[in-house]
Order: sequence, then C-alpha cells, then structure tokens
Amino acid sequence: MQTIIPSDLNALKSLLTADFTAQWRNRRSVVLLLLVPVIILISWKGLVDKLGGAFVLSNCITIGLNAIGLMGYSNAIARDRDKGIFQRLRVAPVSARNIMISRLLIQLAMILLVTMAVFIAGYYADGISMSVAGYAVALLMSIAGGALYLGLGQAIVGLIKNPESVNAATRLVYFVFIMVGMFGELGNAGDIGMLGDQIGKIVKWSPYGVVRHIVSTGLEPATWSSDTTISFLLTIGYAIVFAAVGIKKFKWSSSR
Amino acid sequence: MQTNPSAPILQVDQLNVFYGKFQAVKDVSFSVTPGEIFGLLGPNGAGKTSTLSSIEGLIIPDSGTITVAGFNNREKPLHARANMGVQLQSTNFQPELTVAEIIRLYASLHAVDLSKERLQDILNNIQLGDASKKRFGQLSGGQQQRVSLVIAMIHEPQIVLLDEPTTGLDPQSRRQLWVRMEGLKAKGHAILLTTHSMEEAEAVCDRIAIIDHGKVIAIDTPDALITKHRDDPEVIAASRRGKITLEDVFIGLTGTAVRS
Repeated sequence: MQTIIPSDLNALKSLLTADFTAQWRNRRSVVLLLLVPVIILISWKGLVDKLGGAFVLSNCITIGLNAIGLMGYSNAIARDRDKGIFQRLRVAPVSARNIMISRLLIQLAMILLVTMAVFIAGYYADGISMSVAGYAVALLMSIAGGALYLGLGQAIVGLIKNPESVNAATRLVYFVFIMVGMFGELGNAGDIGMLGDQIGKIVKWSPYGVVRHIVSTGLEPATWSSDTTISFLLTIGYAIVFAAVGIKKFKWSSSR
Repeated sequence: MQTNPSAPILQVDQLNVFYGKFQAVKDVSFSVTPGEIFGLLGPNGAGKTSTLSSIEGLIIPDSGTITVAGFNNREKPLHARANMGVQLQSTNFQPELTVAEIIRLYASLHAVDLSKERLQDILNNIQLGDASKKRFGQLSGGQQQRVSLVIAMIHEPQIVLLDEPTTGLDPQSRRQLWVRMEGLKAKGHAILLTTHSMEEAEAVCDRIAIIDHGKVIAIDTPDALITKHRDDPEVIAASRRGKITLEDVFIGLTGTAVRS
C-alpha cells in the first residue's frame, strides 16, 4: 500500500480554510475586539487637536493589537489546547509548524483588520487624515507591533496551562497595558501630564510604549528619529524574547 | 513501506517513558498484525495512555522504537501517522465547524479527495445523513463517537488506534461500534484498542496485553489468559460467581487496590 501524505501547501490551505471558518463563526467576538479601540477613538475626538492625530490613532491601534494578541490569540490557543483540538490535529500527517502558521496567519489578518478599522473610524469620526505613505508604513509597523503582542500571548499560554488562568492573566495584562500605557505616556506628552514624567519614561520603553511610538511615527514617516529606531528594535527584541519563552514552554496538551 | 502482508503493522520495542523521575512505561514490547484486534488493558495510571501517546507521536519516549507500517515514527513521523487512524478519548474538533467541514478537513489532511457524493455516503453510512450542517458539539455522544471513527478511517489506514472508544456509550452504540470494529478487521485493518471493559476486550480482541506499573505483565488471547491463570490463587480469590472470567484474571494479576 502506498503511503500518501499531503504537501505542506495543501495541508496549510486546509488548515487555513478551517481556521478562517472558525474565526468567521466567532465574528461577534471579533467585533468586540474592534469596538474597544474604535470607541476610544470616538471618545477622544476632543483631544485630537491637543494630542495630534498620529498619537490618537497609534494609541487606538496599540490597544487593538493588545486585544488581538492577549484576549484573542492566547485565549483561543488555551481553549483549543484544553479541548484536545491540537492533539487531534497532531495525530494527522501534518507538521506542528503548519498548525501554528495557520493560526498566526489568522492573527495577521486580524492585525490588518483592526488597523484598517481604526484608520477608517479615525477618518470618519475624528476627521484624522494621513498621507498614503503614512498609512502604509503604519500598517507595516502594526504588523511588527502585533508580533510583539502575539509573542506575549504565546508566552502566557506557554507559562500557564489552565485556560481560565490564561483568561485571567491576559485580562490583567490587557488592563494594565491599557490604563498605564494609555494614560502613563501622557505624562510624557507634556501638556496633559497624567501620571508624571517618571512613569511616562517607563511606559515609553515598555511593550506598550514602543509599539505606540513606531505606529505613531509610521503615520508620519518624516518624523522618524533615533528614538523610533530604538523603539522599533525593542519591539522586535520583545517579540523575539516573548515568543522564545512561549514556544520553549508551550505544551500541546494541558493534561500533563 | 509495509510489503509483507503477514509482517506486524505495528511494532513496539523496549519502550520507556519517564515523567521526571517517574517511569510511566518500562520496557514495553508488543506487535500488532494486519487483521488483528489487539487490546491494551490496565488499571488507571498503568501506562496505557503513555504507550498509546508514544505510538501516536504525541509524546517522545525516552528510549525504544516504534514502527508503523515499516516507518519508524520518530524518523518518519508523517509517514507513520499517514498509516494510522486515531480516535482519541475526548471530543477534540473545533466546535465552530460543522460535521461536514470537519470530515472534509481531515480528509484533505490525509490527501483524500472527497466528493460531495462520497461525503454524503459516509454520513448516510453512520446514520448522520441529515446532520452534515450540524456543529460537532450539537451531536450526541454516540453520534460524536461515530464521526470520530469515520475520521480515523477516512484514509483507510492500516492500523486504527482507539482509546477507550466505548466509554460513556449506551449498550446499543457500544454493540454498533463492536460490529464496526469487526468490519474493519474483516477488511484487513489492524486495531489497537485500550479499554477498561473486560466484556469488550473478551468480545472483540484477538489478543490482549495487560499492562501494570508501566510493564506488560501478560500477553495472549483472552481464552489463553483465562486458561493459563485460572488456577492462580489471586484469580480464584477474585472470582465472584465460580466461573473464571477475563476480569477475574485481570484483578488477579493487577491486584484489588483502587488506583488513582
């Protein structure tokens, strides 16, 4: 009897079809993920002139990326691991790499979706308009920032097995990132000063601050500075460290 | 690739699995031949699942070799998995997908081209002809079990691994599964089955390995095991109605203490 195994490409195509279908059927939760940054964007309408369109958009995109990596990705992985969905896939002739690539491509689509949603809502709700180059570079920076939060999500599911504990941990990190990140860096903005300059400086180089900074500069590429380069390198560095921890510690099954 | 029809389709040699310092599987060896239903029996924590998971490639054993259809499952994992069908213990498909979508997914992962008509035939065959658009989670336990078995068999594998397949099923569903297993055997497929049901093991298995504390302590046909151990004092002590059954032999060999 001849042994037939599917090509990598065909296996990936099948996994992607299934994963996209599952994501589509979960569209309510996708809408909820999109709502948070869009609502913040609309509620900050009065601050656009004071903070600048790039600052407002980049904050909202960073919050959206946080939601995808922490709330969306890590909880979905924890749930599927606990239900044994990965174990069932792994006994089929398909590589573990393909299983994860398919999941990550779904998240890439989500990153693009949330970024575009913020661009569109920013234009129609707050009248924020950037150059085409700005939108394009910001989209690329969003992908880099998204990688950081996916890495963080991976680290959480790598270090924590229980899905309820993963859910609690991601909510906590998400909340801290939103509150300290969003308001902390305003201390650095000078005019508003909410949590003070020290917190502002810490937030600036935190996983929240570096992503917000590169997305913000991406929207106005002409303002790229050495700080932006450091932020970009830190974004990649954080992503690599978090992903490395998450992959090293990750177990495909939550039972043993 | 397997060429000799009488050669074992599954060969497990000197398998050892450790979890930290705890040895879950100790030098386990056995083989399963085409058309054979082989039962792996043991109390909770005996090492059945670790053995099965090693064969499935879900855990990496510390030593020993496993060959499926001639393929070493560590050197050629995808080839080994392509030759086996697996039904795991628990429900494990994406709950958002329909029955038809799940069957299509696994067919394609096994490079099986599944036409619409063929899919409907499969569903009709398992009495789920009108359930193709139902989500897996909406099916009853027996229906889920039938879908799982269909998926395990979608690529006509040379060996099917069934991990406690009748747990939680009503007697009708259990009998139906036994008939399906015998149908597979008649077509030359080998089956490796783990179960806690001695009735099931006696009813369907050609050979049985009893595993305890990680070791294979007995391996033979159900009748031969009963004949061989019927005079053991522990087996006689375990007998409740005078007639020695496979369960008496099992209790006699593994002890009466309840395992965690």
